[in-house]
Amino acid sequence: MLEPVLTVTGLRKFFTVTRGFPRSRTVTVRALDGISFRVRDGEAFGLVGESGCGKSTAGRAVLRLVEPDAGEIVFKGENIITVGKERMRALRRKLQIIFQDPYASLNPRRMIGKALIEPMRVHGMAERAACEERAKALLAEVGLPKNAMMRYPHEFSGGQRQRIGIARSLTLEPELLVADEPVSALDVSIQSQILLLLQRLQERRRLAFIFISHDLGVVRYFCQSMAVMYLGRIVETGPIPDIFKEPLHPYTRMLRDASPVPDPQVKVAMLRIEGEVPSAVAPPPGCHFHTRCPHVMPICRTVYPEWRQFDDARGVACHLHAN
Amino acid sequence: MAADAPSDAPILAVENLVTAFRTGGGWHPAVRDVSFVVQRNETLAIVGESGCGKSVTALSIMRLVPQGNGRIASGHIRFAGRDLVDLPDEEMRKIRGDRISMIFQEPMTSLNPVLTIGFQIAEALHYHRDMGRAEANAAALELLDQVKIPSARQRFADYPHQFSGGMRQRVMIAMALACRPELLLADEPTTALDVTIQAQVLSLLAELKSAYGMAMIFITHNLGVVASIADRVAVMYAGEIVELAPVNELFARPTHPYTELLLRSIPRVDRDASGLSAIAGQVPSIGAMPSGCRFAARCPLREAICTTRDPFLVPLADAPDHQVRCWVRSPPAEAGHA
Repeated sequence: MLEPVLTVTGLRKFFTVTRGFPRSRTVTVRALDGISFRVRDGEAFGLVGESGCGKSTAGRAVLRLVEPDAGEIVFKGENIITVGKERMRALRRKLQIIFQDPYASLNPRRMIGKALIEPMRVHGMAERAACEERAKALLAEVGLPKNAMMRYPHEFSGGQRQRIGIARSLTLEPELLVADEPVSALDVSIQSQILLLLQRLQERRRLAFIFISHDLGVVRYFCQSMAVMYLGRIVETGPIPDIFKEPLHPYTRMLRDASPVPDPQVKVAMLRIEGEVPSAVAPPPGCHFHTRCPHVMPICRTVYPEWRQFDDARGVACHLHAN
Repeated sequence: MAADAPSDAPILAVENLVTAFRTGGGWHPAVRDVSFVVQRNETLAIVGESGCGKSVTALSIMRLVPQGNGRIASGHIRFAGRDLVDLPDEEMRKIRGDRISMIFQEPMTSLNPVLTIGFQIAEALHYHRDMGRAEANAAALELLDQVKIPSARQRFADYPHQFSGGMRQRVMIAMALACRPELLLADEPTTALDVTIQAQVLSLLAELKSAYGMAMIFITHNLGVVASIADRVAVMYAGEIVELAPVNELFARPTHPYTELLLRSIPRVDRDASGLSAIAGQVPSIGAMPSGCRFAARCPLREAICTTRDPFLVPLADAPDHQVRCWVRSPPAEAGHA
């Protein structure tokens, strides 16, 4: 069994939001309500769920791009929540992120070469000339021409910009990449190009990934294990083949069965419409999913199910699978 | 309703449609030589990637192509026997929202944020059916019930921002269906929704479509959604239909190289990771279309003729309702077809 490169325990982040006019009130969004997971060395770990489930907050909290309220994030034996500023800066080299929107994540006034060289200079990795060589090599690695160095983001298509984003995330030789919906904004044919590129990089560089996505097909293809989130909590974790073969949590099953399959012979589950989908502002009492669950029992309405760990990787929080 | 056409005729027949836009000083077709028919009670899916012309096709049918920089350059759009292309604006306004209606991808930007949901649904009935306020409101309430808005009566006077994304899209559907249209154009109606909500909206659309017996054109980039909702499918690439076939036929036997590669580049949720293929290169831009087949530059089967002569949409010899635009996979039966 491979050693975990990252262990997250009890990670919590609440946001307070002021809403309403003219009489505003302050509400608390429980974006991360104590989540725990592990990412093994060289593994792509999928974080899956629908909008508002907290998956992006989780990815950002791991890099301390949002400061968590509580919990531990241990990266290679070091709790990055408690380390000092200097040490955190050094650790950031090892932890990088790829964003969803390749349009918004590049500075439109900065040439690609500069965007790639700057992080290396900031971290004092090499002299200017060496940095430039490295930047060119990275562009080649992600399938862009060398002359991209002297061009601006608007000169590139969406897929090319995502390649630039990937090249930039690799400038500091990271060991863990957080990829936040890296292919969601792309067309199908470009999406597969980027997935293949990420896969090649993962193999060649033995990168670990936290791969955040709402698309179960993409996660099944790219990741080795995953966690399913619902309203700020993880409801199921496990290796990819096991989860897809036999989802334990009814929500995981619902997600899987509602995902469209490009085959008219496979009928996608037609879901009935039930009331409103609850939000992380006011999660329902008991199991958060009980309002939509086809197997709801009386206990589900009052008690949040305890986490049950089956083996090293597989775990679920559901009264159907209680001890 | 449609006394002006026999009921077995297709409700819509688009013939050689060309819609052009002005970019960089010249007019360039965004949709070229597009022809298809839609039968009553049938769902035709138009599938393709960004910029392939699928939305422009729908906007052309609605006659909503932005004036000034866009125009229907040639072709016919016959709806229930009448050509919409040269219909006076006044006549078109009577059809739009009444006999043909449309739902869009982003319900928040297509609903008016300062008007109540109830008012916006009743408006179409008020305008097209000449209903009084009370009568239109009662009908609107019934529509909200039909699209399964919980406690519709209480929500009737709510504003769009008080609804979730899935509910807003259902409100859009209620608005579109208010006048019982014969043809519904749905432009990526589930793309902005979560997958469980998407499944709900798709089943609602399918249910209402058969209840109303209306025809639907469903525009999407998602071949999974196509498989679950379409009767027939048109695959578009760079402004042209490259393949047109019944849904089972298309997925069982994708024949245009683009369709085939597209299907192989989708990571599937129902299978363990298997080979994923990518389509090299990218779609040509509207101002720089190559001569010959527009997919030729990315096509692994490219032959000499592909880069010199435009291919036609040709029925396959053994499946006349399966048409493919490809010199290699579906050559015209007799030479000199042009």
